[in-house]
Amino acid sequence: MLRRISLAGAVVALAGSALLAGVPTADTGSAATLGNSGGDSGSAWTKTRSIGRVFTNADGSTYAFPERSVTVRVAQTHDLRGRQRIHISWSGAQPSGARASNPYGENGLLQEYPVVIMQCRGVDDPSLPAAKRLAPQTCWSSSVAERSQVQSSPSNAVWEHDVYAADADKGRLGGLDPFPGADVCPTADTTGYDTRLTPFRAANGKVYPACDAAHMPPEAAVGAAYPPSELAAFTDLDGNGSVQFEVRSSTENESLGCSHTVACSIVVIPIMGVSCDRPAAPPTIADNACRQSGNFPAGSSNFAGDGVDLAVSPALWWTESNWRNRFSVPITFGLPPDTCDILDPRAPTGFYGSELLAQAALQWAPAYCLRSDRFKFQANQMPDGSAYRLMEQGEAPAAEVSSLQPASGSDPVGYAPTAVTGFAVAYDIDRPDNAGEYGALRLNARLLAKLLTQSYLGSDLGRDHPGIGGNPLSINTDPEFRRLNPGLSTTAQEAAATVLSLSQSSDVLTTVTDYIAHDPAAMAFVSGKPDPWGMVVNPAYRNLDLPVAEWPLLDTFIPTTQNTCRQDNPTVYFSAIAAPVTTLRKVSEALLDAWPNVQTRCDVDLGTGAYKLGRIDRQSYGSRFMLGIVSLGDAARYGLRTAALQTKPGTYVGPGGSSLAAAVGLAHQAKRFEPFVIDQAAVRANGRAYPGTMVVYTAARLQHLDKDDAAKVAQFIRVSTTEGQRPGSGNGQLPAGYLPITDSGVTRKLFDSAQLVAAAVARQYVPPTSSPSGSPSPTPTDTSSTDPSGGPSGPPTGPTSGPSDLTDPGAGTPSTAPSPTTSPTDVASASAADVTPTSAVTSRVARLLLPVLLAIGIGCGLVAGLGGALTRSRQ
Amino acid sequence: MNRRRTTLTLLLTLLAVLPGITAAHATSYSQIEGSGSTWSKNIVDQWIADVTANGMAVVYSGTGSSQGRKDFANGTTDFGISEIPYQGTDEFGNADTSNGRDYAYLPIVAGGTAFTYQLKVGTTMVRNLRLSGETLAKIFTNQITDWSDPAITKDNNGRAFPALPITPVVRSDGSGTTAQFTTWLDNQYPSIWRPYFGRSGLTSYYPRKGRAIGQAGSDQVMNTIASKVGNGTIAYIEYSYPINKIAEDGKPYPVVKVLNRGGFFVEPTQYNVAVALTRAKINHDRSSQLYLTQILDGVYSFDDPRAYPLSSYSYMIIPTGADDTRMTTSKRQTLADFMFYSLCTGQTKAGDYGYSPLPLNLVQAGFEQLAKLHAADKNVVVTNRDVTRCNNPTFVAGDLSRNHLAEIAPMPADCDKVGAGPCGTDTGHNQPSTNDNTDDQGDNDGDPNDNTPGNDQDGPSGPNSTGPGEDPGGPGTTDPGSSTSIDPETGLPIGTDNTSTSSGSAIYANPTELVAEREADRRTFGVLAVGELLALVLLPGLFVGWSRRRRTGRAVR
Repeated sequence: MLRRISLAGAVVALAGSALLAGVPTADTGSAATLGNSGGDSGSAWTKTRSIGRVFTNADGSTYAFPERSVTVRVAQTHDLRGRQRIHISWSGAQPSGARASNPYGENGLLQEYPVVIMQCRGVDDPSLPAAKRLAPQTCWSSSVAERSQVQSSPSNAVWEHDVYAADADKGRLGGLDPFPGADVCPTADTTGYDTRLTPFRAANGKVYPACDAAHMPPEAAVGAAYPPSELAAFTDLDGNGSVQFEVRSSTENESLGCSHTVACSIVVIPIMGVSCDRPAAPPTIADNACRQSGNFPAGSSNFAGDGVDLAVSPALWWTESNWRNRFSVPITFGLPPDTCDILDPRAPTGFYGSELLAQAALQWAPAYCLRSDRFKFQANQMPDGSAYRLMEQGEAPAAEVSSLQPASGSDPVGYAPTAVTGFAVAYDIDRPDNAGEYGALRLNARLLAKLLTQSYLGSDLGRDHPGIGGNPLSINTDPEFRRLNPGLSTTAQEAAATVLSLSQSSDVLTTVTDYIAHDPAAMAFVSGKPDPWGMVVNPAYRNLDLPVAEWPLLDTFIPTTQNTCRQDNPTVYFSAIAAPVTTLRKVSEALLDAWPNVQTRCDVDLGTGAYKLGRIDRQSYGSRFMLGIVSLGDAARYGLRTAALQTKPGTYVGPGGSSLAAAVGLAHQAKRFEPFVIDQAAVRANGRAYPGTMVVYTAARLQHLDKDDAAKVAQFIRVSTTEGQRPGSGNGQLPAGYLPITDSGVTRKLFDSAQLVAAAVARQYVPPTSSPSGSPSPTPTDTSSTDPSGGPSGPPTGPTSGPSDLTDPGAGTPSTAPSPTTSPTDVASASAADVTPTSAVTSRVARLLLPVLLAIGIGCGLVAGLGGALTRSRQ
Repeated sequence: MNRRRTTLTLLLTLLAVLPGITAAHATSYSQIEGSGSTWSKNIVDQWIADVTANGMAVVYSGTGSSQGRKDFANGTTDFGISEIPYQGTDEFGNADTSNGRDYAYLPIVAGGTAFTYQLKVGTTMVRNLRLSGETLAKIFTNQITDWSDPAITKDNNGRAFPALPITPVVRSDGSGTTAQFTTWLDNQYPSIWRPYFGRSGLTSYYPRKGRAIGQAGSDQVMNTIASKVGNGTIAYIEYSYPINKIAEDGKPYPVVKVLNRGGFFVEPTQYNVAVALTRAKINHDRSSQLYLTQILDGVYSFDDPRAYPLSSYSYMIIPTGADDTRMTTSKRQTLADFMFYSLCTGQTKAGDYGYSPLPLNLVQAGFEQLAKLHAADKNVVVTNRDVTRCNNPTFVAGDLSRNHLAEIAPMPADCDKVGAGPCGTDTGHNQPSTNDNTDDQGDNDGDPNDNTPGNDQDGPSGPNSTGPGEDPGGPGTTDPGSSTSIDPETGLPIGTDNTSTSSGSAIYANPTELVAEREADRRTFGVLAVGELLALVLLPGLFVGWSRRRRTGRAVR
């Protein structure tokens, strides 16, 4: 039987991969490749060209550095959306030095030989009118320092010695003609100092002089809530590098103004250094400054932000020397989707529940509001359980959940499969020595269990934790992890001792912990057995019953330390490291910013002068290590890297079309209208199925739902399982990160089940047998909504009287239904049993104690008997 | 009010006929960015998700109100969200101003600052704790340090809680929640608050002392309450956090029922908040920079039995300068329409998320503030934004100043009254506590109408409210004179006509003082029990074996 199932799984897996045309099977799970619908390979872009740097000697001869043949690849250039992240890679570039802890915006300026990547309006085509051509003045930067050199010492004015610069650009003041006066830019023209501006020309034609923060476009800000996307990226010692570059449409950046009608480019400038003109005799300080070739060795870091050689820094990207070395990648934006009208007077209908649906719901919503024959759909995010209760109480027409929820209402509920997606363990991990990002993370259930059970020590502060003082400080120092993921840094850090997860109850956590619960090695670890390297579980979590919907913070260890700040703020150290958050979205954002939510920072508040706890700093590029549990939708939307999880021992499966399809192939439905169950044991046996696969269901009452609401829910189920399953980034389509549900192949059973539920929801049929109130008038909706304990359990019948009470004439009147003298006793006594304090106390040890002891007793008796017999026989 | 509305309508109509402006199609949106309050973040995040369907992009980071005001002043954001206005000078003498940037306030949502806690009797969580304001003030100023304190026992009508130290959890970052809480402390309990704080007034940075724990952000405060070592902790936090945090027993985290001046202990449901805020004094002076800000003295002292004392509004700070360097037409349009949605339709879901919708007059005033975006830039369209089409649950047709929610707010259950109860119903369920869904255990004031639905407008139902001398009986010790029938077997009152009775699971603190559960006790007694049982089973066998060996030994000899 089992073999047949796994065979079927393999078949459906193949079918699933066929559905996702052009997407490679992602068994290594390097990036979220699931249904990357936009990624039509036709719009990838590649170019190779030679770039160099020359010095003019005093005698007029030139010295040229060896040219470098640089290749730049861009994964997608057509039909982009605002905030889409595009993979850009290069090879053959000059290795970088002085790596900044954050390469974005002005933070990335103090580096040497980086690759500057920015978005510019216009394209590089000499045949176009000037207004449509790109130029440094149309390239976006979020700060002044990235574009202008204001009040520079003449000895440092390297750009005035650029051999390629026009003579007009070699003066003391330059960049804007006429040069702004002191009334506009008070600091620009200061005697004894040189200033070179690179103004910004906005899409509406307005020119911002960029001489100070007040003369920058409105979108520009340092330290804004919305971080910059332009960066100075790092090239490794082999000349390679890659980034995820976020493109911005006119919605995100109006001044830049890129849209489906305004062509734009991504400009990639591998910084080779300024080429220098003929030096004075003797050479000036500036002549020498122009010829500098770097303060820092290639591959080094500059987290302290020390000064760099300006001639090879990214700050002078706009000099003709650097600008001529650019790669201009033309990009096009897709048509912006039609959007709902803010003045639409229809009241929205909110479905409450799972965050897993969030990315799909964003694309689906306009497909409802834009049609008069549909209702105005809204997805309201809430923990699955809370949403289900709202639905049962009639405060929401439907709930979005991922598993069978405990029923507290009396109406039957149908679960319509609505989306196939799941969770992923996403990560930011840099390889040591600035060798680039790690892209092939593999994890198993035991490693996840170690992270969740807070069994890594974090830092020396954790060493005094009772029972686990010998454990590794963080996962990257754990031999088990290092065997799976060789070559990573072994510098312990607190952020690598945890996986950022949810604080609220969620079916996602249930699935994560169910995956752990079905792994014998992981469960042996949780139950206290050391792993082969001697690491043991944090005693606070030993024998924790899994799965759980909400991960508890069970540790109690407060380190004793000499640190007065920590003495003043005694907290549970491991809880501060774990610091779970309320939404998966927050986890994704933390990963995007490489900003762990570890709350162990302890310092003096500048305002109050008192010690306080807070979040640690953002991680430095080049030494990032952070893990988090995210939704597949978010992972695809933000281009987060996702880990492959072990299924069979030795087999690692990442989230992808085929691996999700394989998991769906294993799904079983116990009862009509109920959710399907993906048994983690079957996933493990199958080997090709992704363990994080989850189905999101639209759950709604099949009886007593308001007629209008019932029609809306049925419509939603039908629309979302048909047109809502077409992959794409348009209105009503299914975004990346979801496996389409279709009426053929492996997802057919989900499709069929959804249609069945849709019909049942629409019908709201109340079978006569299920309303034993036996009211002669067929008005079940009216009575039972006020009937306090109505439903199939038959409340009006006394606990002992049996069905004969059906004929009780009083039963038809709802207000008196639970007659005070008889009916509530079974309800009351049932709950009363919970009240008695003694019954609440249960203990597994206690339950097993007597039988075990009896067994021991019998055993002892036997031994004694045998012993006696032995003694006797010896005699 | 009516005249103002007419003028506004006239004005808007005039603007509408200006050439080149059509409502829906001329609107183009650009992303707006903001930062600030975590108090209101849960509902703001949902609004942001909602308006995505309208093509609006909004970025919001919950950095705390103080940081939100700072970011706005520094011009790095397009809006800020804060519970308190700019203070001019903050409590440390630093500037707390907009740095010359023109701005206006508009209220975005109402809510209650709740007190969530973890307190166990044995292994069971207490879910019906009640505290007076004075007790809360003393707890957060380290004057009441143990759960068995007589003041807490008195608040709970004689039910004592275990001897267990109280650990207040406060915010370590600059927080509007802290500002709201300390405003109330300073206003209501100055003699308790000021000696602790060392001065008068509010603070955004709670002066943590002694056992108290400081945590950054509302998420971390909730995590601390819910952790294994959380037993004995209590924190101030917006109501939406505890109601969405499920405890190990599968129920939401409870919140303290706070005593109001009407003599009832109430929870910050959307109803109780709405009632309380009918007494908020809103600055109606349009010429004032503090226009629309709140003065909450009347809220704190409102004697309606339903009012939750720590109710307040959260505010958005919007840039109104025509020459604001961060703003463009399309950004202003986005801000205007984002707020139009949030103040209008967005209010309908406030209750579900643990907030309370704004009354219509404040929505209307908010719209007028949004019109300042149009004043700054004539291309911003603010026409056709009609408050009456908001589906706002607080709306009372014909009178914008009335709050429907406050009018339909049910009366608290009799057992929530001072000297009565306490009610057995759980808190944290985002449901009002009424006579409908409590069972009045221990509260027997002889009112035969105990089981009729509440909402009797005359306030406390029984004329002879029970005195403090009443027997604080638990289940089964009910006054025999009561008209409520008691099931002889279960000792529970029967005939309560409701569906959501959670009577069975209520925890009544035992009047006999217990020590809180201690791990060491369990282990010690467990080992002892095992030892005894082992002895019980093994000793007879061993004795038999021993005696037999002796016998055989003797026989051999």
